[in-house]
Amino acid sequence: MATTKMKIKKNKAGGHDVMVLAKHPMETGLRKNKKTGEKIPAHFIQTMEFALNGTVVAQANLGAGVSKNPLIGIAIAGASSGDTVSVNWIDNKGEGDSAEKAVK
Amino acid sequence: MKRRIFLKGSLAAGTVAVAAGAGLLAPARVLAATWPEAAFAAKTEADALRAFFGDAAVVDSDKVSLKAPLQAENGAYVPIKVMTSLTDAEAIAVVVEKNPVPYVTSLQMTVVAGGMYSARIKMAQTSPVNCYVKAGGKLHKVSQEIKVTIGGCGG
Amino acid sequence: MKKLFALMAATGVMVLASTTIQAISEAEIRSDIEAFQGFFLKRFPGLTLEDFADGVNALPQYAHRRANWELLMEFPPYEPEMEKAEQEWRKAFANGKTFADCTLAPANTYPVYDAGSDDLHTLVGDLNACLAANGEKPIKNVKYGKMARLVAHYRAQFNGERMAVDFSAAGARAWYEKGRHFYWARRGQLNFSCANCHVQNVGNSIRGDVLSAGLGHTVGFPVYRTQWAVAGKPWGTVHRRYAGCIKQLRASPFKTQGSEYKALEYYQAIMNTGVPLKVPSQRQ
Repeated sequence: MATTKMKIKKNKAGGHDVMVLAKHPMETGLRKNKKTGEKIPAHFIQTMEFALNGTVVAQANLGAGVSKNPLIGIAIAGASSGDTVSVNWIDNKGEGDSAEKAVK
Repeated sequence: MKRRIFLKGSLAAGTVAVAAGAGLLAPARVLAATWPEAAFAAKTEADALRAFFGDAAVVDSDKVSLKAPLQAENGAYVPIKVMTSLTDAEAIAVVVEKNPVPYVTSLQMTVVAGGMYSARIKMAQTSPVNCYVKAGGKLHKVSQEIKVTIGGCGG
Repeated sequence: MKKLFALMAATGVMVLASTTIQAISEAEIRSDIEAFQGFFLKRFPGLTLEDFADGVNALPQYAHRRANWELLMEFPPYEPEMEKAEQEWRKAFANGKTFADCTLAPANTYPVYDAGSDDLHTLVGDLNACLAANGEKPIKNVKYGKMARLVAHYRAQFNGERMAVDFSAAGARAWYEKGRHFYWARRGQLNFSCANCHVQNVGNSIRGDVLSAGLGHTVGFPVYRTQWAVAGKPWGTVHRRYAGCIKQLRASPFKTQGSEYKALEYYQAIMNTGVPLKVPSQRQ
């Protein structure tokens, strides 16, 4: 269902920027289905965990105020070539996805 | 199957993180694994900040910067980027004052994570966007108003 | 500027008044290009021809919003779509061939005039013709979705190549005149021409938006628009955008891939001679 893409690039501070693009509707729970008039239930990513070589280094908390197909970017200091960055997200329905990439 | 393996892996990794964290930072500031529900439920900025950061003094800071458009292309998709030179930053929160849920997103991090957080957020209307970085027991604040307009045609 | 308008209006009227007059010469088209590009380069002294490939983002009047685009381009939202496009491009037809076997002109030379049929070939048309020739079903919706992705994939291979559309055939120049007339003629309840907004009022605000420059239009297409992405169909081909523009003038849009839009696409492509391709593009 879900696709999660990750991109890692060097930043000016000498570390790496990690960008994650997750495919997700990020429904607020406030929108109505135009045909039936029923509210579309809230459905959004809640947490996104970033790990460097398996050690969690950051956790992003998301709400329904984050755009559809969210892009979340963080910086990681001290990663070197060959290290693995992984991301793992879970939404309010308990569904999730993960992605992994090696630092070049 | 694949997911199960991953979960198992991350569980193990979690323990490592706790151990490493305890060694690195004496008061063991371990990443909260839970989603800060109270902050997201808060109706006002002040309540959200208290729920997420606890009580901390807010200071305007030049060690925190925000890159964002002065006028958004589209309120449903506003890119923002918070950067900080504070080396002891623990958490970043993004608050859109006039959104129905002002507390939009946040990041908790260890020292291994650098001081940057970027996201694309929804904005209901023109509003100040306030970003807070917690470091050394204080909340370092940077703010910018982002205009959200009704477009003519665009492209 | 006034001069340019007067010149265009005069030639437009002439074309209207008598179509029996000998077709426009190559030299006249070249002077049209010079006048058109010269206008924009003079209007925006800090910009080069290449800058116009970035569309409205290049204009100084848009500076307060450029950060929006720059931040988006750090991880362009179209990237996963481009990967999908590549897979679709490589997927074999039932006869074992792929799109790579299609006979296509270089992307920077479209639309191509075909003297035999006295018709303009667009990339969209050629891709569908190739599908048909290989016993596949042509793609019905050529405004967004798969066709837009295929066009984006092909055109992106030519990024940096400068627009160079051939107008040496007399028949081709008749299409050019048709396109030029379309661009400069007023239409719709608002009674605007393309040029009224994108030449005469370029850089000015229209409600909350800034009018983009006519120079550089179409070189970035297909476009990935935030507005369309939020509504679920992010991609748009040039003809989808034309229809949108024309509806906003409160006129009835023409047929996608019909002669009106093909002529307009041809005129715009020629006006962009020398502007490098930059595909795909991200716009609001």
